[in-house]
Amino acid sequence: MPIGPEEAHPAGPAATAVRLSKVSKSYGAGSTRVQALRSVDFELRAGELAALTGPSGSGKSTLLNLCGLIDSPDSGEREIAGVAVAGRTETMLTRLRREKIGFVFQGFNLVPVMTVFDNVEYPLLLLGVPAPERDVRVRGMLARVGLGGFDRRVPDALSGGQRQRVAIARALVKSPALVIADEPTGNLDSATAAQIVDLLRELAHERGAAVVVATHDERMTGRCDRVLRLVDGALQ
Amino acid sequence: MKWLLFAWKNVLRNRRRALMAQSIIAVGTAAVLVGGGYALYSYSALRELAAHENGHVIVAERDYFGGDEDVPMQHGLPGATALSRSLRALPGVRGVLPRIQFSGLISNGDKSAVFVGTGVLPDAEFRLRGYQLNFIAGEAFASGTSVPEIALGGDLARQMKAKPGSSLTLLATTTEGSLNAVDVVVRGVVSVGVPEIDKRLVLADVAAVQKLLLTDKVSTLSIYLDKTPATDAVAAQIRAEHPELAVRTWLDLAVFYQAVRALYNRIFGMLGIIMLVIVLFALANTLGMAVAERTREIGTLRAIGTLPREIVRNFVLEGVVIGGSGAIAGMLIAAAVTVFLSFAGVQMPAPPGRSAGYPLLVQFSAGLYAATGAAIVAASALAAYWASAKAARRPIVEALAHV
Repeated sequence: MPIGPEEAHPAGPAATAVRLSKVSKSYGAGSTRVQALRSVDFELRAGELAALTGPSGSGKSTLLNLCGLIDSPDSGEREIAGVAVAGRTETMLTRLRREKIGFVFQGFNLVPVMTVFDNVEYPLLLLGVPAPERDVRVRGMLARVGLGGFDRRVPDALSGGQRQRVAIARALVKSPALVIADEPTGNLDSATAAQIVDLLRELAHERGAAVVVATHDERMTGRCDRVLRLVDGALQ
Repeated sequence: MKWLLFAWKNVLRNRRRALMAQSIIAVGTAAVLVGGGYALYSYSALRELAAHENGHVIVAERDYFGGDEDVPMQHGLPGATALSRSLRALPGVRGVLPRIQFSGLISNGDKSAVFVGTGVLPDAEFRLRGYQLNFIAGEAFASGTSVPEIALGGDLARQMKAKPGSSLTLLATTTEGSLNAVDVVVRGVVSVGVPEIDKRLVLADVAAVQKLLLTDKVSTLSIYLDKTPATDAVAAQIRAEHPELAVRTWLDLAVFYQAVRALYNRIFGMLGIIMLVIVLFALANTLGMAVAERTREIGTLRAIGTLPREIVRNFVLEGVVIGGSGAIAGMLIAAAVTVFLSFAGVQMPAPPGRSAGYPLLVQFSAGLYAATGAAIVAASALAAYWASAKAARRPIVEALAHV
């Protein structure tokens, strides 16, 4: 089902989806202190698909967590879809995530007792979208990710690739400004992984959502609009 | 509704664990309802017993209930016939019975014993409280016979070697302080189910007793009502219309009823509290395991925008589903036990100080069921809150990394 312009993110394709300015983050204290990110400046525009690469321990997950507002930096400024994050309470950050950020996890992280439909519907329930509109949007999204007719199945009855499609549908159904995807192809075979990245790119372009994908897979990076490389907590 | 559906699905994730918690709650709920229903039945039975023994409202001369008498009937009630007629005219009054409390010696010619007697109007007395007087032998006596007739307590009849038709003599102190005697015929032998009373009990015609005591007064007028709940209203009306009288309700004189009620309230109240604590711990344990197993899921839901209080709400709904379904099962069990006992005819042994047992019955009370159900659901919600509140506020990154 084609995505209508009214479902695209209101910020528009050229707006800044996420901006990080001189963001630093460390863990531990004293002799065990580890500097995960060092004064990172990073900006992603609506509709862009960016691959975040780097060796293990380079700070990819930390950067994703900070972009996704599920962790806080030691210093620096963050902005999501033009909204400054500094000084906001945990409740306000949760509401910001609810409205503007979607997540795709390596392990899919679908709720097993919910059907495919319920999983995709969940973010719209949180947003208080009326039932008839939810129904249209969820079915449209499922059709778009190739899972039309799968709505009554539970995640355990799906393949890995299908589950990740459900997760992508859940992340994008609310038309977020930003989608955080942490190793979304890590549990998939090469062909399926390629399909998933292609799907993410298409949806990012269609919906005007910025997508940042952390990946170790060099074959995936070629399918992304931009490649960001993190080494020892600094972007190169 | 959608959230309730999710809660139900989550409850079914681990059916055995949920079933165990539901079973504990069901058994506890049934125990509280059956125990509480038994207490309510006991209260009801004792209330009616007390009300029928003394009357719903008891009227006497002002100093009767508090003062000691130097001579019999010193605080007796004069003009009982006219007063009785005016009280009988009050709305909701079924009957007014005059009574005289007296005591003395009873003799068969060879042997004497102390008796504690009540002068009554036999026809009305046996009609209004007949079921409380179990006639072991003979029958109810009549008034106005040439030789006064009496009914004796079973143990006293045995002491006096008396049976229906036997002649005995009652001796008592008159209102003037002298001794008087009257020959009587035993018409019936009764038991009130309390050996201490059956050993001393004499029931005689009020007119014969007045003749024995040389008085035209009565001790009390016992007012019987159509409905026990009207007691306070009628008592208040009598107090207002007859300020010169002492007015007591059945509850004021029902010492045994009040003692049993106080005891049962404590016993079954404690049972209820224990039950709630068990529900609290059973559910906290069940949901605590569920929360631990779903830490990563909680992290995911938090990441995609679920507030901690919404996470807690979901677990509270799960608790309510488990607690509510367990409570409903418990109510069904209790209702089945209630129906079974009403047909089974199970007898309880005689309580201390009594000579007869009583039927084991459980009273159904919609109020008790509703209150118990509400308490179980509230305890379940509290347990769920207790189990999930901390996990819902755990850092998201930490929750997502949970294995």
